[in-house]
Amino acid sequence: MTKRLILAIIILLSLSRCALAAGTGRIVSLAPNVTEILYSLGLEKRVVAVTDFCDYPPEAKSKPKVGGMVNPSLEAIVRMKPDIVIMAEDGNPKELEERIRGLGINTYVVRAKRLRELPGEIERLGKALKVEKKAEKLSFEIENAIAGLRKRNPAKTGSRALFIVWPEPLIVAGPGTAINDALELLGWENIAKDAAAEYPKYSIDEIIIRSPQVIFMAKGHDASFDRRLLKKLSGVRAVKEGRVYYLGDPIMRLSPRIVEGIREMAAYGN
Amino acid sequence: MENILLDRVTFSYGKKETIKRFSISFGKGEFCALIGPNGAGKSTILKLCSGILKPQSGKIKLFNKDLEGYPSKERAGLVSYLPQLLDTNVSFKVMELAEMGLYPGGGGLSPDEAIGVAGLKEKAGYSITELSAGEKRRAFFAMLLVQGAKTLLLDEPLSHLDIKYQVELVKLLKDIIEKSGITVVMAVHDINTVFQFQKVCVIKDGGLFAAGSPGEIITKELIREVFEVEAENLLPQRIL
Amino acid sequence: MKKINISILIIASISITLFSLLFGPSFINPFSLDDISGKILFQLRLPRVVTSFLIGSSLGASGAILQGILRNPLADPYILGISSGSALFAAASLMAGSAFLGPSTTALLAFSGALITCGIVGALGYKDGILLPERLLLAGIGLGFLFTAVLMLFMSLSTNYGMRRALLWIFGDLSMADWSQIPWGVLLISAGLILSISRAKGLNALMLGDEIAHSLGFSPSGERLVFFTSVSLMTATSVALGGVIGFIGLLIPHIVRFLTGSDAKTLIPLSALLGAGLLTLADTIGRTVIAPSELPSGVVTSLIGAPYFLYLLRKKI
Repeated sequence: MTKRLILAIIILLSLSRCALAAGTGRIVSLAPNVTEILYSLGLEKRVVAVTDFCDYPPEAKSKPKVGGMVNPSLEAIVRMKPDIVIMAEDGNPKELEERIRGLGINTYVVRAKRLRELPGEIERLGKALKVEKKAEKLSFEIENAIAGLRKRNPAKTGSRALFIVWPEPLIVAGPGTAINDALELLGWENIAKDAAAEYPKYSIDEIIIRSPQVIFMAKGHDASFDRRLLKKLSGVRAVKEGRVYYLGDPIMRLSPRIVEGIREMAAYGN
Repeated sequence: MENILLDRVTFSYGKKETIKRFSISFGKGEFCALIGPNGAGKSTILKLCSGILKPQSGKIKLFNKDLEGYPSKERAGLVSYLPQLLDTNVSFKVMELAEMGLYPGGGGLSPDEAIGVAGLKEKAGYSITELSAGEKRRAFFAMLLVQGAKTLLLDEPLSHLDIKYQVELVKLLKDIIEKSGITVVMAVHDINTVFQFQKVCVIKDGGLFAAGSPGEIITKELIREVFEVEAENLLPQRIL
Repeated sequence: MKKINISILIIASISITLFSLLFGPSFINPFSLDDISGKILFQLRLPRVVTSFLIGSSLGASGAILQGILRNPLADPYILGISSGSALFAAASLMAGSAFLGPSTTALLAFSGALITCGIVGALGYKDGILLPERLLLAGIGLGFLFTAVLMLFMSLSTNYGMRRALLWIFGDLSMADWSQIPWGVLLISAGLILSISRAKGLNALMLGDEIAHSLGFSPSGERLVFFTSVSLMTATSVALGGVIGFIGLLIPHIVRFLTGSDAKTLIPLSALLGAGLLTLADTIGRTVIAPSELPSGVVTSLIGAPYFLYLLRKKI
């Protein structure tokens, strides 16, 4: 009797482990925001490799690497024996996805680019990776947090803002980006929202003409570039009134952490 | 039947008429010099005879048939041309160059023989870029010998040669003419050399000024009219 | 001496190929293949090595031929603007992010761009019915500048991401090499090689100058056209397969000439072989030294080629 019980337990355990290992067990992530989402879904153990750019959470940095986002090493990916490779449409080339599929490896492409698409994408991903419950919970949390931030409406509605991604060449966040969504969520009007591209090269004159009241700048590059740029923008209202704020990584990544980034942004409201 | 016949040939480089209604013929076994001042048209005539240039009017016949009508390889067996300036930054070996004479079919000497005749036997393995100007010319000449065309058109081949090789070349040509009955037409710059030739054609301003054996036609008057120089300054013994 | 050198070149190229297949970046034992290493060997490395072999051989041969028909030792397959034309077309599609002709869009556009450029350059190279080397050269350089300018215009208007993709492609990207493009590559490049090697005598004659070539029974303009066509075909195909990879077409013919002479009958095939070997080596280096990241093979060939080129110049001058 005991023997049978033990046998049954052993069989049950190994079956459940099989179920876990088969299908979507081993995951390779080819984008930093994907890695963050996977960790937030508690899938740390299943992530077998990431890219050189996956730096959050810090534990992710110690995972085996497969190279960059645009041309990762196919050999390295294959060697990881992944059950699924997860990519981001915004960051990995389409040909890469086709090639990996051509090698007989399952792929999943995260297509979300806008803030509002994030919760839905997390749920979809959760289904594909068989962690629906966690995904639903996470997605719900994110939706709530965003709704909460919208209510607070820290900016005087209509006040103008600009998010500078890179000072030289001058690149800003334009329409169709999560950053733009975040600004509008908090009540700001992105002066670059009618630009021709998502991350356009913007003209300094235009910024001076439109004179935003608040300027956000991404951190992560040499301060001397920022200073040079701000000198040129000294006539702009935001610079004159000292309302130039530096924001960290979170706002730039479409992952659960973006909520943090939006909170950071909100803290600088009026 | 002449090797080459030019019948009232006119040729212009652009607008300038270089050769005007020129008629001449070269027959079997002739050893002929073309002489005249620079720009008279010697090179142009040789190029017309070889087919590289095509006349605006007039006929050029090769062994009684239109030069144009020959397939290139056949033509190469009947007439060959050596230009004045030899493009020599290619590093072919002397032997390789000679072997290229076989390309149209090879009716002449074997490459080995030709190199020997050209006096380059020891340098057969050298690259032609390592040769002196005169040796280079002889290397190309060896190629012509291998090609074995029935008519040789040479543009100022003697200019870069030491007098020793000038004399040798002329002797060599005469030998070959005698043995195989080829025709040699050479543009020469130095009037002193024409007396070795059997026939001389004097070219002036794109026209045939005179043609015949050098002894007959090279006179004080001719030299004055064509070269604008007094004969006494040139060839005191011969002319006077 | 020459025969020994030829054997050395052949052995070297074959060894490099084997080395690249079995090493870089990790060793695979061909006699005990498991599922993973089998997949890597046959689906990743083999097509990649075959592609680099095709591209290298086409560039090496094209460089040798062009240096001959243009009588210019500094000529390389891109001097006639082919790289700019094909880069323009391919990069445009990469930057726009569209793949309207299916998965081979970039390759097809690169190929078309190259051929269109060759067509224009070829047409401009004619004067009074004769194809002249000086005109080819000038037309090619001029058109190259024009296309590069337009390309840079597109780049300045594109997104960062699109630009990065375009640049990576232009630098020579063999990482996506797969079997689907290889049959075309083999067909077109073999056609170019066979065409040019079978007429090697004509190339030798052309190198002596148009007048002597004519005297030897060749039509200089006609021969030049045939070789130009084979170069266009081979270079267009190689750009379509793997972007713009520099220095191979420029350097390899010089090395081969130094070892085995200028006779086109050996120069063309050996340039092809050595070009293939060297590019395969460069690609292996590119994917091994900073694995798992990759250096585009075009970057590796330039990094090795440029200093060696300067060294050669010093020796000759």
